[in-house]
Amino acid sequence: RMEASCLELALEGERLCKAGDCRAGVSFFEAAVQVGTEDLKTLSAIYSQLGNAYFYLHEYAKALEYHHHDLTLARTIGDLLGEAKASGNLGNTLKVLGNFEEAIVCCQRHLDISRELNDKVGEARALYNLGNVYHSKGKNVASAGTHDPGELPDDVKNALQKAANYYEENLTIVTKLGDRAAQGRAFGNLGNTHYLLGNFRSAVLAHEQRLLIAKEFGDRSAERRAYSNLGNAYIFLGEFETASEYYKRTLQLARQLKDRAVEAQACYSLGNTYTLLQDYEKAIDYHLKHLVIAQELNDKIGEGRACWSLGNAYTALGNHDQAMHFAERHLEISREVGDRSGELTARLNLSDLQMVLGLSYSTNNSMMSESQVVDNSLNGTRPRVGRRHSMENMELMKLTPEKVQNWN
Amino acid sequence: SQPLSGRQAAELQSKVVPSKQILHSDNMEMEPETMETKSVTDYFSKLHMGSLVYSCTSKRKNK
Repeated sequence: RMEASCLELALEGERLCKAGDCRAGVSFFEAAVQVGTEDLKTLSAIYSQLGNAYFYLHEYAKALEYHHHDLTLARTIGDLLGEAKASGNLGNTLKVLGNFEEAIVCCQRHLDISRELNDKVGEARALYNLGNVYHSKGKNVASAGTHDPGELPDDVKNALQKAANYYEENLTIVTKLGDRAAQGRAFGNLGNTHYLLGNFRSAVLAHEQRLLIAKEFGDRSAERRAYSNLGNAYIFLGEFETASEYYKRTLQLARQLKDRAVEAQACYSLGNTYTLLQDYEKAIDYHLKHLVIAQELNDKIGEGRACWSLGNAYTALGNHDQAMHFAERHLEISREVGDRSGELTARLNLSDLQMVLGLSYSTNNSMMSESQVVDNSLNGTRPRVGRRHSMENMELMKLTPEKVQNWN
Repeated sequence: SQPLSGRQAAELQSKVVPSKQILHSDNMEMEPETMETKSVTDYFSKLHMGSLVYSCTSKRKNK
């Protein structure tokens, strides 16, 4: 009986991964490693593909392990191009794991070798990876605090500015090479970096380029991403109507692509945008659509957000009964998911509403003095700790002063 | 029950007129990563079938 050779197993692994079945591919690659080979270049290719397969499967510890094996092997056999590739892959994996400093070292190694070999394609790819590491680093530090885009501490700003520089450098090369797909990726992430830096006009310009390239390729997922990012940028430019148009296109594409989670996100963004436009009926309509999908996907956190938003929108319309209903639901869900600060927020909402409805309310409310009320309504103080933490991934938006004054 | 701080009280009031602030979901859509790829067939084509059995001690470089 013929035993399958290491090479045969590896070839089957490659075929399966190319066909999109990474899980099955991994089994074949692991079997190939078990059988073993004396051809270290073949072994390096197997480790590399195992690392990538685990990366796509989001098993980053395993990905790290195999890319590390690949790097060691490439160095041992003096395969410089192989070392560059392994360094790049290791860098990307370390980035996802949040080890930014080591990721930078690895991606820089990828860049240095590519330059040494005068490999322009490799150089461009390393620059893109470096941009991504600095972007993640910046975003990671930023998300530890509570900042709106554009309101950043210096270390965050520095990391994001570096990311922007690397994306620009990448763009120079890939434009020369005529690689439109790579340009598309760089424009998208450059746009997101400008967005975080608060350069919203530049963000729009970059995302418009991304959109153009996505359409060239008929890449509807990329097109959808561009619409969504354009919507976000226009929100911060205060152009809510334009933002709503882009979010509607996002929604349209999400429906075409049958991506319920993205559809929910688009509805949620539209709900918030219509709240900014003070069109509460439409806001409620979209928040309800978001709620339905969140329930369908059993996304408790999303459901809680929907109830919170609906409670606010109904309060703005003076529909206190509905507002009470959703505040109660928000409280229930916060308890269910063990969100302590969400629970506190919901309790505060409920006692506010009870007060408005002339019902009895907790004695804690007596702490609220007239001066604080007036002060708050004048400067639109942003809630800090509690609500921020209860609403993961969310930022509170300040409205323009005119809007605040015209509010009541 | 523990008393609310001034800030909490201010927050509380902002809930009565909640529309002064709005939650904005910061859902940025990033482009995918690019991974470097290796393939056993790369070496295959370079080495030809016969040399697949070459030993690891042979110092061949395939750049």
